[in-house]
Amino acid sequence: MSTYAHPAPAQQNIGGGFVGAVVLHIAVFAALIGAALLHPENTTRWGENATSVGAIQASMVSSIPLPPKAPPVEKSVLTEENVTKAPAVQQKETTVAPPRPTDLLIKDKTAKNPKLAEKVVQEAVKHPQPVPDTPKAATGAAATQLAQSVTQVTNGTATTSVQDRAFGTRYAYYLRIVGNAVSQNWYKQEADPGASQGKSATLLFDIQRDGTVANLRIETRSGSVSLDQSTMRAVQRIESFGPLPGNGDRVTVEYKFDYHNP
Amino acid sequence: MMPGTFRSISTRLATRVSQPALKSLLAAALFLCAAPMLHAQDWFHLETSTGADRIRIAVADFKPQSADPNTATCKRAFDTTLFADLNVAGIFDMVSKSQLPQVTPGVPAEMNLQQWAAPPATAAMVAFGNLSVQSGRIIVNGFLDDAKNTQFPQIFAKQYSEEASEDQARQIAHRFADEIIARLGGGITGIAETKIYYVKQTGENKEIWEMDYDGANQHAITHLGATSISPRVSPDNSRIAFSSLSRDGFQIRMYSLLLNRIVNFPTAPGANISPAWAPSGSQLAFSSSRSGRAEIWVSDPDGHVAHKITSFGRDASPTWNPKTGSQIAWISGRTGLPQLYVMDSDGSGVQRMTDGGYASSPSWSPNGQFLAFAWDRKYGPGAPGGQDIYIMEIATKRWIQLTHDIGRCDFPSWSPDGRHLVFSNNPDGHADHWRIMSMLADGTQKRALTGSGTDMPNWSWK
Repeated sequence: MSTYAHPAPAQQNIGGGFVGAVVLHIAVFAALIGAALLHPENTTRWGENATSVGAIQASMVSSIPLPPKAPPVEKSVLTEENVTKAPAVQQKETTVAPPRPTDLLIKDKTAKNPKLAEKVVQEAVKHPQPVPDTPKAATGAAATQLAQSVTQVTNGTATTSVQDRAFGTRYAYYLRIVGNAVSQNWYKQEADPGASQGKSATLLFDIQRDGTVANLRIETRSGSVSLDQSTMRAVQRIESFGPLPGNGDRVTVEYKFDYHNP
Repeated sequence: MMPGTFRSISTRLATRVSQPALKSLLAAALFLCAAPMLHAQDWFHLETSTGADRIRIAVADFKPQSADPNTATCKRAFDTTLFADLNVAGIFDMVSKSQLPQVTPGVPAEMNLQQWAAPPATAAMVAFGNLSVQSGRIIVNGFLDDAKNTQFPQIFAKQYSEEASEDQARQIAHRFADEIIARLGGGITGIAETKIYYVKQTGENKEIWEMDYDGANQHAITHLGATSISPRVSPDNSRIAFSSLSRDGFQIRMYSLLLNRIVNFPTAPGANISPAWAPSGSQLAFSSSRSGRAEIWVSDPDGHVAHKITSFGRDASPTWNPKTGSQIAWISGRTGLPQLYVMDSDGSGVQRMTDGGYASSPSWSPNGQFLAFAWDRKYGPGAPGGQDIYIMEIATKRWIQLTHDIGRCDFPSWSPDGRHLVFSNNPDGHADHWRIMSMLADGTQKRALTGSGTDMPNWSWK
């Protein structure tokens, strides 16, 4: 090494130094090889498994010893693992309805027996009387059982009825829809108020299975051309009443409009 | 940007016409239109005017019939959706939930109609039923009873079964509501199962989104990473045509909802915007400047056999007559400010509908009777009023104004039942605050469906 550090004086002794260096290197290598031959190491190399040569064994992370899991603190609310149960769904309380005005007993001052008219006892008829075929509407609720729907509009009354009684009772709601739809499409300003006052027009039309109108005609003319026209137009404006309920192919509807301007 | 693109698109994407030119145009338009405007009539009878009643219907809460934990969420979604659907339909007088009897009948045997027909409910119709979740499926039995018919009360009964989820519960409610409307609507079809397609601003881009008609279930359709505008769904709900900004400028793009991907549509020079489907689904009208000026072109749905049907330039926003398929309404600026025109689908019989102002984005009603469009009747700097939604009866050219004082409104689109309109609205003038609203076609029951950053709604055909 000194040869390189001091190049000028090394010029004279270069041959001896070179031989010395070579001999030293050979000696070092010989010592290494000799030591290896004398003490052959048979230990497994890093990562080498004795049973499967050539493969690398990786040990699982789970084998790494970790500190044991601390048991949960039972008393602390924040680390509580057992969540308290949600409160049970409370049944709705059945409240007692407030008393109706008729429930309150108000003592009548005049508790006397009211005078009553003498009852007229009708004598039974000797011959059986024929019972009228058409049921009459006594109250509003009973009226809906008729195959008829009445719609009040601002300047008149629209009555819709079907000739097929069974259809009218079974599908009363459809009849109401028909009555409503025609009334909604009826423009009151189209009928001349002066000429139409107190008059009524009656239309007949068929509703087909898909709800479209066919065979529209005037059954009874009102005497006011504008009223006839406006009721006709109301039905003509309607594209469809919606598909017919039930199995029928068509239903014939009578639409009567009574004009009365208040 | 070409000069013939109108405000419907231009204000958001390009600059406006220069102010002096505008002023002179406005002065001329005002002078020419002053006389006819005096006779313009504000109202025509769209409303019922006769005072005929609407059907009063009560909707009972459905009875839960299973202990599954999903039952409660499904039931809540079902009940609220059903009530909202019938309420929005606009043909019923709804009984308020607070006036209902304190019972939940689950089956017709438990139904006491007298109780529902009596005040305060006084219902003419009662919808009720039960709901259960069993082994991952939701089963709904729905009934509709006529409270006035003691002899034959039941109108119909339906059973639905779907996978148990809140979304499916809502879909079942939509179907049940549509079924009720089909029976009681008097020819009106329900729209609860329809969809609305719209543009959603996502960062720099605008993508096409889809939602249910009530604003629920909003989700993206396209993921192009570009500016896509004016979606138009095909009559059979299988495709969406829209125009998208690419390196070739605006081009018509076609998205298949069956394949869930873009399908081929040929590009053409110039700006190609505002597609519109013919009701048959076999033709597409759009505005294209491939021949130099913006004209209305008609092609088949694949973009082939395109032919020009206008020839004066500055034509955009076509819409077909959905009833006949033989007429097209569109916006043309051939006389200055854009106006509403109607022509036959071969380009003949051109007729001008508006008498002035600034008209844009028409939509033709399903029954063919009306045109809805956005109109700024007194357009110009300092002019009173603003852009609002109008409806015009085509036969008489009479119109009514549907929106007042809620900010700029644009892009009306009819619902398939012809009773509702969806439109976009800008409540505060901020460019990012466009939102989608819906209303009944008489201007009542306005409600917002989406939040900010949504625009250009298009209601599906069914």
